[in-house]
Amino acid sequence: MRSRKVIPRLISLAIFIILEIASLQMLSHNASLQRIWLARSVHGFMGTVWGSTQRVQNFFTLARTNKELAQENADLLKELSAAREALRQFHVDTLGSGIVREPGFVMIPAEVVKMSRNTQHNYLILNRGYEDGIQEKSGIVTRNGVVGMIDAVSAHHAYAFSFQNADISISARLGLEGGTGLLVWDGAGSRGAILKEIPLQFKYNPGDTVYTSGHSLLFPPDIPLGVAGSSKIVNGATNEIEVTLFQDFSAIRYVSVVHNTAFDEIEEFEP
Amino acid sequence: MKKSGFWLIYLFLLAAQLLLSTYANFTPYVMVTLLPVMVLCIPIRVGTSLAMLVAFATGLSIDLLSEGLLGLNALALVPVAFARNSIIRLIFGRELFAREEDFSVHRCGFWKVFMAILLASALFLAVYVWADGAGTRPLLFNALRFAGSLAASTALSLLVIDLLAPDVRK
Repeated sequence: MRSRKVIPRLISLAIFIILEIASLQMLSHNASLQRIWLARSVHGFMGTVWGSTQRVQNFFTLARTNKELAQENADLLKELSAAREALRQFHVDTLGSGIVREPGFVMIPAEVVKMSRNTQHNYLILNRGYEDGIQEKSGIVTRNGVVGMIDAVSAHHAYAFSFQNADISISARLGLEGGTGLLVWDGAGSRGAILKEIPLQFKYNPGDTVYTSGHSLLFPPDIPLGVAGSSKIVNGATNEIEVTLFQDFSAIRYVSVVHNTAFDEIEEFEP
Repeated sequence: MKKSGFWLIYLFLLAAQLLLSTYANFTPYVMVTLLPVMVLCIPIRVGTSLAMLVAFATGLSIDLLSEGLLGLNALALVPVAFARNSIIRLIFGRELFAREEDFSVHRCGFWKVFMAILLASALFLAVYVWADGAGTRPLLFNALRFAGSLAASTALSLLVIDLLAPDVRK
C-alpha cells in the first residue's frame, strides 16, 4: 500500500530533476552554436512580429524623434566641419612623415525594432541583416556611446547583446590618457555603469569623461561613454569608479553598427 | 468537478504573459508574471508529473517567444508545479484531494487563495531572480527585485484568479 504512494512520488521527483537539469543545460549553453541557431530563427520571428507592433508605437513618437534627428544632424555637421579642418591640418603637419594609418571602421545605420531592458541579460534586435552588410562581431554605437555588440545575424535582422547585460564588459579609458579598465553595467539604472580595475596610480577627478580605450577590436577608440563619479578601492589594489553614461538606454531608437575592417586579420595573431 | 474551458483560458493567459514579458518592462526592479498562478490552478486531477511537463513547456514557450534567455522561465516554473500539491494541501487541507475538487475564491475564501498565490509566486520569483542575476548582483538588488515583482505579480494574479479557478457551483 505504501509503495503505491512512494513510486509515483519517486517518478515525480525524477521528472522534476530531469526538467530542472534540462533547463539549466539550456541556460548554461546559451552561448553555444545551438543558441545562435535558435537565436537566428526565433529572433527573426520576433523581429518580424514584434517589429510590426513597435512600428505602431514609433508612429506616435515621430514628432519628438524628428526634433532629435534634426539636432543630431546639426551636431554632426558641426563635427564634420571641425573634422575637415583637422584633416587639412593633419595633411599639412605630417606630409612626408611616413605615418601609417590605422585600419578603419565601417559604419552602417540601423533602427532598433525590439529591445529588452528589464532582465539582467538584455538584448536588441536591429532591422538590418547580412544582406545589408551587417556582420557578427560588430559593435553598436550612438553619438552618446556604446550600446551593445552583434551576436547573430539573419538576412534582414541582427540580434545583439545590450551593454545592459551581466555578461558584457567594454574596455574603457579614464580621460584621454588615463588608466584603462573594464566598464560594466551596474545592473539597475538605465544610465549607471561601473569602471573596474583602474590601477591606483592613475589619479582622476569626479566629472572626468570616460572613453572607449581602443583595446577592443569591436569599438573605435575615444568614443565618449560617460562621466566618472565616486570611487572605492577594491582589495587595496585597484579603483572601482561609478560612471553615469551619456547614453540613456530607455530612449534608444537609431544606432550605428561599427565593424573593424581589419578584425579577421588582427584576430589571426591571437592564440 | 471539471473546470470547463480551463485549457483555453490557460492559452489565453499564456498569450497575455507573452505581451506582459515583452511590453511591461518599466523598471529592472519589477517583473510581472502570471505563470505561477496559471500552474497553481491546473486542475487537481492532473498529476504532478504531467503538471511539471506543462509548466516546462509553458516556461520554454515564454523563453523562446519573448524574453530570449532560454531555460530561465522553465527553470523557475517547474518547481511551482512540483510543489503545487503541497501548497494546496498546506493552505486548503486534504479535503480537496479527497473530493477531487479544485479550489476557488468562493469556496475557500479570499485570504487562503491569496496565501496560495503568494507562496507559488514567491517560489517562482526566488528561483528566477537568483538564476537571472547569476551571482553577479548584490543581495539588496535581488531582494528589492524579488519584493517588487512579488507584489506586482500577486496583485495581477488576484485579478485573473476567477478566470482560472471559477466557482463551478455558480
